[in-house]
Amino acid sequence: MPESAALQRLRDAARDPRAYVAQWRAHHPGCFVVGVMPMNFPREIALAAGVLPVYVQDDQRPVAEGRAYLPEFYCGYTRNLADQAATGRLDHFDALLLADHCIQLLGASDVARAIGDRPVFFGMLISSLSDSWAEKKIAEMMGHFRAEFEKLSGAPVEDEALALAIEAYNADRQLLRRVFDERAAGDTTWSPVELQDMVVSAQVMDPVEHHDLLVEALAAAPRGERDDRVRVHLSGHLCHAPRRELLEVIEETGAVVVDDDLWSGRRYVQSLVPFTPGEDPMSAIGRWYAERNVDLPCPTRVQHDVDWDAWLIDATRRSGAEVVVHLMPKFCEPHMLFYPELRKALDAAGIPQLLVETEHEGIPLEALRTRLEALVERAVRHRPAYA
Amino acid sequence: MTTTAPTAPTAEPRTERLAITREGGRMIADYWEDLFVARESGRKIVWYNGGALNPMFQAAGLAWCHGEAFAARLAAQRLEGPAQLAGAEYGYNAELCSYSRTHLGCAVLTLKGSEEPDSGVVGLHDRADLAAKLPAPDLFVNNYAGCSTGQQWDEVSYRVFGKNVPIFNVSHPFLWGNRPDAGYLVGSEWDEASRYVRDQLVELIDFLEVQTGRPFDYDALSESMTYIKRAGELRREGLDLCKATPAPATFWDWISCIAPINFLPGNQALVDYFQNVKDEIQQRIDAGISGVRDEKYRLYFDGIMNWNKLGFLSRKFAEHGAAVLAGRYIQNAFWQEPHLIDTSDPLLGMAQHYLLCPTNHGSKTLDHLTLRDCESYGIDGIVFHSTRTCRAFTGPQRLLARSARDNLGIPSIFFEGDVADASFYKEEILDSRLVAMLEAIDVARERGDHRRAGRGAEVAWPA
Repeated sequence: MPESAALQRLRDAARDPRAYVAQWRAHHPGCFVVGVMPMNFPREIALAAGVLPVYVQDDQRPVAEGRAYLPEFYCGYTRNLADQAATGRLDHFDALLLADHCIQLLGASDVARAIGDRPVFFGMLISSLSDSWAEKKIAEMMGHFRAEFEKLSGAPVEDEALALAIEAYNADRQLLRRVFDERAAGDTTWSPVELQDMVVSAQVMDPVEHHDLLVEALAAAPRGERDDRVRVHLSGHLCHAPRRELLEVIEETGAVVVDDDLWSGRRYVQSLVPFTPGEDPMSAIGRWYAERNVDLPCPTRVQHDVDWDAWLIDATRRSGAEVVVHLMPKFCEPHMLFYPELRKALDAAGIPQLLVETEHEGIPLEALRTRLEALVERAVRHRPAYA
Repeated sequence: MTTTAPTAPTAEPRTERLAITREGGRMIADYWEDLFVARESGRKIVWYNGGALNPMFQAAGLAWCHGEAFAARLAAQRLEGPAQLAGAEYGYNAELCSYSRTHLGCAVLTLKGSEEPDSGVVGLHDRADLAAKLPAPDLFVNNYAGCSTGQQWDEVSYRVFGKNVPIFNVSHPFLWGNRPDAGYLVGSEWDEASRYVRDQLVELIDFLEVQTGRPFDYDALSESMTYIKRAGELRREGLDLCKATPAPATFWDWISCIAPINFLPGNQALVDYFQNVKDEIQQRIDAGISGVRDEKYRLYFDGIMNWNKLGFLSRKFAEHGAAVLAGRYIQNAFWQEPHLIDTSDPLLGMAQHYLLCPTNHGSKTLDHLTLRDCESYGIDGIVFHSTRTCRAFTGPQRLLARSARDNLGIPSIFFEGDVADASFYKEEILDSRLVAMLEAIDVARERGDHRRAGRGAEVAWPA
């Protein structure tokens, strides 16, 4: 079945955010576009100020001039960001902002600040979420972001505008989450690459425009029941999308991806801002941040009673995933630190798993294919024999 | 003709290390031996990481183990192998911060050793290895500024121990410098961050009271911080003396003095130690003794220490007549601004020092500090230790190198190594790049290009 025009537009925005930003600017003369860094940026505040906030993507180009600014043992995403900064590929943004304390992301952002002429604002959201003062500090920082966008746009950010922005992003995330839930339930036939394009485009686009296109794309989508391929849960890649060829090779080995906790997947869509009309929208945005780690735990947060390993096992039970493939970007320290806990828990639960360390360039796809095929074979052998 | 290589093999090394550091080594050894038997003497044990919270623990009557310090000690003694192997078997990737990997490996060994719970010392089967002697924690405190991995590391330690050990986190705002008034020790961001961390230290005291079951001794904290402040002042005065040409002591001597200032108890012995360090440096100046015989080059070292290679690097640089004099890890760390400490109410000054971790600044502030120190020490070149598993230290290094070149005409080199994993050290790269940089400095001096030759070209060298 031919791809719908709506899906093509989502894919275009996901794979060429600069072109999308140029189009958006053409339709919104005089408006600002800011680049925001993953993973927890309150984009609603920017949108309420009339600013388009675009999550800065790994544009998957080889790192060239960026090598002069960050060492080779920084993760591929941050080295790619440094390369984008060094070659003018961030020039379509009026400012850069970030909220997450990742030392590698800070390194890349510092490069962008040092060699660029645009503001780079870091509002550090507290990552130790078990602390009794966390709620207060979150609220303070959200207030700083509001002030920053008021400064940028030159006008107050009104509560009514915040409410509208929350509703717009919530509607878009909710629709995306429905797609992920349907996939986990076995009701859809979306490939992991198609879903990645849907999510990444949501991270780039105006939420209302994205929602409308997504509605159209879903209406034109074929649906089918899940077949008997080995069911895979993809785990990891906390802040940027894995390369598409990697996702393709997983399904080429006779597996079907049924769920994930990727940044370019369920991790982005899992949490809605818990807002009800009439309440303080800033308070709701603060709760969104605080609850994101509960909805889908992240090893970059410290919260003693929230466990990624337990969430992962529950997720495999919900989706019927038979195996877990860990996609760990090389040099991602929070993932490296937490991986043994995941491995222990999955081993204890009897769930086969495979760790794939992903590189920014030069993924050895054929070697990876062999390992994936072995995992699939192992899963098939673990299936109960029919009576 | 440049002569950067050693002219002839010499029976005696060209490095003249401070004799007093041997006394520091003894104090450190005594400290660890005391920690290893702390449980047997009825004390609770806290594992902590990041800024020097030891005065708090001292006042609370706890025994304390600084995770990075223990990993560094293992590496310096070449005993890190068993802990790193245990960590690797548990699943930690070799590219993970080797401090955390070593320390978590110790945690794994400690858990294995808990099969002998009555001994108070775990891992009796590995008693020969220092890694296995670390007593299990009764509580964790995380106090990590700058590097995001620090907080995650202790959270994982907490999970490795089955969530059965209480934990407290102190969160530190990264001193990014958003506002126009931001700068080193100044500006509203600095003031707000200082108060925020200070308030968390008050919460930490409540936590310690619960854990120890007794009131916190504020007088003991003031007393401890009085000694530490004095030790910090003496350390700074000693560092200032090393601006002399030729330098009476080197960066490597000060590296040997890190452990005492970083985690030994605040007491008269600590003050005496740093008084002796300063006195020996002054005596050397009076007697015309330099840290490197026939000092020819004055270098700055940026990066966290390569603990596996401390003595080796000291000798290597000295062979070339290169005195390494200053570095981010010395001048800009470890109670380096003692004037901030009000001994009658020390919490704010302590909080500020935790924030002043040399990885907790944006590159603008680091640039200011690096240029300041390069100028005041008359630096000819910078050696960047591209510390493989420490992304916090290495992140801004390339920006710093560019700035030193553009603003002071100072050349720099990078070499690869690591804090606690010797496998990342690249000997040939350091050799060839160091020789090349020293030759470049020579050439610039011959041309009379003071800017390219660094400040050292302006001084007269010993005959």
